[in-house]
Amino acid sequence: MRQTATCQRRCSGILALGLLLIVAGLARADRIELLSGAKVEGEIVARDEQSVTLKATVGSRTFTRKYPIDRIHAIVKGDDREVLNAMEGGTPAGSASKGKARTPAAVQRTRAEIDQWIDQEGRTPPDWWDSTPLEFPKTLDLSFPEPAPGPWNNQKNVGQYLWDVIHPNQGKWRQGVRFMHHLLTVNKDRPDVHRRIMNTLGGMYYRLLQDFPRAAYWWRRAGVDKDDRFWSGVQLAECYWKMGNKPMAMELLRGIELQYSTIKLLADMGQTEEALRIAESAAQGEAADLACVYAGDACRVAGLHRRALQYYERVLKVPAQGQAKGRIERNHTRARANIEGIKLFDLLDLARVPDGAYRSSSMGYEAPVHVEVTVKGGRIDSVRVTDHREKQYYSSITDTCRKIVAVQGVTGIDATSSATITSEAILNATAKALAGATK
Amino acid sequence: MIRRTLKRLAPTWVASPLRRSIQTACFLAFLGLFFYVCCPYPTRPAGVWDNWLPQDANLQTGRVGAVTDGAGDESLAAGRVVHVLDRGVDPAEYLGPFRIAEAGDRQLLLDPRDPLTPEQLDKLGTSFGPWSLSDDPPGAWPSHYARGLAAKERVAAELFLLLDPLVSVSTAIAGRTWVWSLGAAAVAIAVCLVVPRGFCAYVCPMGTLLDLFDWLLRPWRRRFVRSGRSPGGTDCSPGGTGRLSARGENAQPWWAWLKYLLLLAVLAAAMFGVLISGFVAAIPVATRALAFLAAPLQTAAFRGWYQVPPFGPGHFVSLGLLAAIVALGLLRPRFWCRYLCPTGAVFSTAGLLRLTQRKVQPGCIACGRCVEICPFDAIAADFSTRPTECTLCRTCGGVCPTKAIRYVPRWSQIEDRPTDEADVRSRARRRFLAGTLGTAAGIGAGIAAAGLTRTLGAGFAVADAFRPVRPPGSVPEPQFLATCIRCGECYRACPNDVLQPLSFEQGLEGLWTPQVVADWSGCEPSCNNCGRVCPTGAIRALALEEKSAARMALAVVDQSTCLPYAGVEACQLCVDECVTAGYHAIEFMQVGTEVDRSGRPIEGTGYLAPVVLAEKCVGCGLCQTRCRAINAVEKGLIAESAIRLQAGSGKEDRLVTGSYRALRRREERRPKPDPTGVKAGEGYLPEFLK
Repeated sequence: MRQTATCQRRCSGILALGLLLIVAGLARADRIELLSGAKVEGEIVARDEQSVTLKATVGSRTFTRKYPIDRIHAIVKGDDREVLNAMEGGTPAGSASKGKARTPAAVQRTRAEIDQWIDQEGRTPPDWWDSTPLEFPKTLDLSFPEPAPGPWNNQKNVGQYLWDVIHPNQGKWRQGVRFMHHLLTVNKDRPDVHRRIMNTLGGMYYRLLQDFPRAAYWWRRAGVDKDDRFWSGVQLAECYWKMGNKPMAMELLRGIELQYSTIKLLADMGQTEEALRIAESAAQGEAADLACVYAGDACRVAGLHRRALQYYERVLKVPAQGQAKGRIERNHTRARANIEGIKLFDLLDLARVPDGAYRSSSMGYEAPVHVEVTVKGGRIDSVRVTDHREKQYYSSITDTCRKIVAVQGVTGIDATSSATITSEAILNATAKALAGATK
Repeated sequence: MIRRTLKRLAPTWVASPLRRSIQTACFLAFLGLFFYVCCPYPTRPAGVWDNWLPQDANLQTGRVGAVTDGAGDESLAAGRVVHVLDRGVDPAEYLGPFRIAEAGDRQLLLDPRDPLTPEQLDKLGTSFGPWSLSDDPPGAWPSHYARGLAAKERVAAELFLLLDPLVSVSTAIAGRTWVWSLGAAAVAIAVCLVVPRGFCAYVCPMGTLLDLFDWLLRPWRRRFVRSGRSPGGTDCSPGGTGRLSARGENAQPWWAWLKYLLLLAVLAAAMFGVLISGFVAAIPVATRALAFLAAPLQTAAFRGWYQVPPFGPGHFVSLGLLAAIVALGLLRPRFWCRYLCPTGAVFSTAGLLRLTQRKVQPGCIACGRCVEICPFDAIAADFSTRPTECTLCRTCGGVCPTKAIRYVPRWSQIEDRPTDEADVRSRARRRFLAGTLGTAAGIGAGIAAAGLTRTLGAGFAVADAFRPVRPPGSVPEPQFLATCIRCGECYRACPNDVLQPLSFEQGLEGLWTPQVVADWSGCEPSCNNCGRVCPTGAIRALALEEKSAARMALAVVDQSTCLPYAGVEACQLCVDECVTAGYHAIEFMQVGTEVDRSGRPIEGTGYLAPVVLAEKCVGCGLCQTRCRAINAVEKGLIAESAIRLQAGSGKEDRLVTGSYRALRRREERRPKPDPTGVKAGEGYLPEFLK
């Protein structure tokens, strides 16, 4: 339940990012480049001796930023670039390597810029490199044979070690990447192993560290962009998109064989209809469950909650049998969780809840927290915790109920500190009560 | 009229208002310390407010507006300092502390608390939120329980325990250590040279408690005494004087000497390293009574019955002891204080060096009122003073119709009735004999008690002996047992009753000592209260950063029952708890992955299972609490928590002195075996790619 909510938030974040990129592509905004390397885009509305005032819009919000002249490196208006203060040590390295890419100023980059960025980053160690010790079990077979011989053994087979020990623990990710670099050095004389290691490295930089330039570097080294036997092509395309060049991403996607993850990436990039077209044709094939899960996710990212529900319902109709029984069962679970999440949070419409008092419960710290919600005239009139066995809930019980009434909903409410579990239980129980009462 | 009513209802108040006032003040202070200062619950964690969006910002001054679509919060008022964290970037970026200049409906105007550096101004200028505002800077270790107690603790929460000299002296002897509360005890004794045994009449909360019960028990006491079962042949009938009728007019009953015997026994046992003063010393008996009886009632009343931990045999033994002490009041008022209390015996002994004394002038008309009213049996049949019993409570002076009773310096020349010291001298031989016998009996009893306790004790020699999880900062177990006074202050100050008394799991030696009951609750990261209130240093008073490095136990996963390991279902309750608490001591391991025909792992199969990092786990037990509550109790999937604390050698840090943090740093610095010889910073690109 909690995971569903988080996932939902994340998805909407990605969606917002996608929209911004599209908007940024349409209108050329003014840009202020600060001496620190950071850049902000918007409309320059005022300028005097000491400062420049920039009006920026994010979503429906508009606000102003007043920057002192002496902190500004350059002002870009249309095609004019006016340098106010010279950068120390020449131009900012690799255009965006310094200073994080911040929404809404996420910059569109040319193919040349992307290529240069990938090469430059890929050839230099990341900033955490020096402080990360090289550690791995001595028992590992560093020759990295494929397929790994013998039974599953995460202390002997490199792939299984990464799978079992490194991937599940954020704290070990850098250490794992450091180890894979070491593996490459160890196997320097075995070109057949190089590509596999490089492909793995690309995956780790992408999936674990979200270091897209380095992921792209190692995938390109492995030849992912030129050989569609690699499944990582879609992810490399995503790297291009995340780095600020959607055409490169689309070009690569068209050049490689269709995969289920293509559906997801297209949806994330805002190409919902194209994603759904692919999903529909894939759904005629043997893995209809997978195609429909991806299609449902694509709809959800685009805010098409009812269509998402239909796809997830279709997943549940695929019978769990045959060779792929395990996979289909897992997709059933996933679809059910998503259906619940949509019904509880996305489709909550108080206008469709008749007047009355509704009860439900959700697991708290040690036992269920029971809640009674009263709805009157399409508004949440009151939320009351009727029973609980929480140990330290501080003010969460009264606080959370008050906030639900104040915002007339169950999303966008921050938990009472140190009583997060209780707060979330109240939110979930309220959502369940309202979803159960919705006509 | 008022005076008459008062005289009937509370004659001792009229006779000695000063004493009763001080006594009441001390008792209220004792209750206040116990029910208010030591009560951990009113405190609140540092506030966090998410989803604030920055508005117009002036990057010259750093002034910035912020709005929220959420519910808003009235506690975000002008003047409050909040720390701003930009969650719009990954990782989240700290923008610094800001003071709220203006607060409106769901909007704020923020000024930097300290002038911002150009770098900070740039960060602010490029920050688009959402922001999270908080009372504490990001990454700050939570400290609300510790701060809560510190803010309330104007005087030491364990003040009365510090003043009980028997607590400090016996602990110092048994633990072979300096106990800093000896200083407080010395002050108490010094004051009692001026007001001999004044502690008992003016200060001791146990005495006041007994006064209250004695008052309540009055009707039954009369009936009880009338039925002729009065001990020692005292004439307590309404017309009588309350004096002894047998065995010599001025002599006290033999059991008046029991308190010295108990004192000797306690000290003798302490010489053998066994601390039994907690069983009988006045203040620990009182605090434990409150901890076992009143604290649960307070919890039940304000936080719900379900929050009251179940009672064990140890509770009943302690409450039985208290009931017995109270019931003795049926025989005589303050029976315990007069005849049994070993703390009183310390003051009585110190009274031999007294500087002041009660004296009776010739004006005495032998009316007997003083004898009747004296709560401490300190007035002999001839109205002379038993100076080692007299507490200078001045009640007798208040009721004396001729004002013949004076409280003067010991060397004062005013005429006095011969005290029973003269009488004693006349029977010196008998007294000497009795004294010797008594001393021998006391020491013998002490040795016997020590022997018994040890025999039924912790059994350090036995390999599989019960090893309770002790509070964080507890000194090594043998010394812990020798210095823990069993006063119950730590259970009282412990949020959520993580600390609960042992019964007889560790034999007699461990009775009422605190143990961590992780099945009930886990130790709060923001709390160091147990060490703060411990009067003897059995639990060291640790700063929060020290406490959070002190390992009290090690959590061990039972792979046969843990749901992911057993392949039952996905579960990460323990990991979530550990991350939320800030220890990050449990990692994941993927288990039960299925492979396809080519040996590749199938995505989505298997579970993430917990792996405890022994070097990071402090044994707080939060993981065990949650696993038990949800998986065992609520879902009924397992019989008991699948992750459980284990104490014992190698699993806990028990330092007498020194820093736990330094200990952990030393461990970390131990060079790890380098499998390759590759130096840090090398090996990013292999030669063939350069």
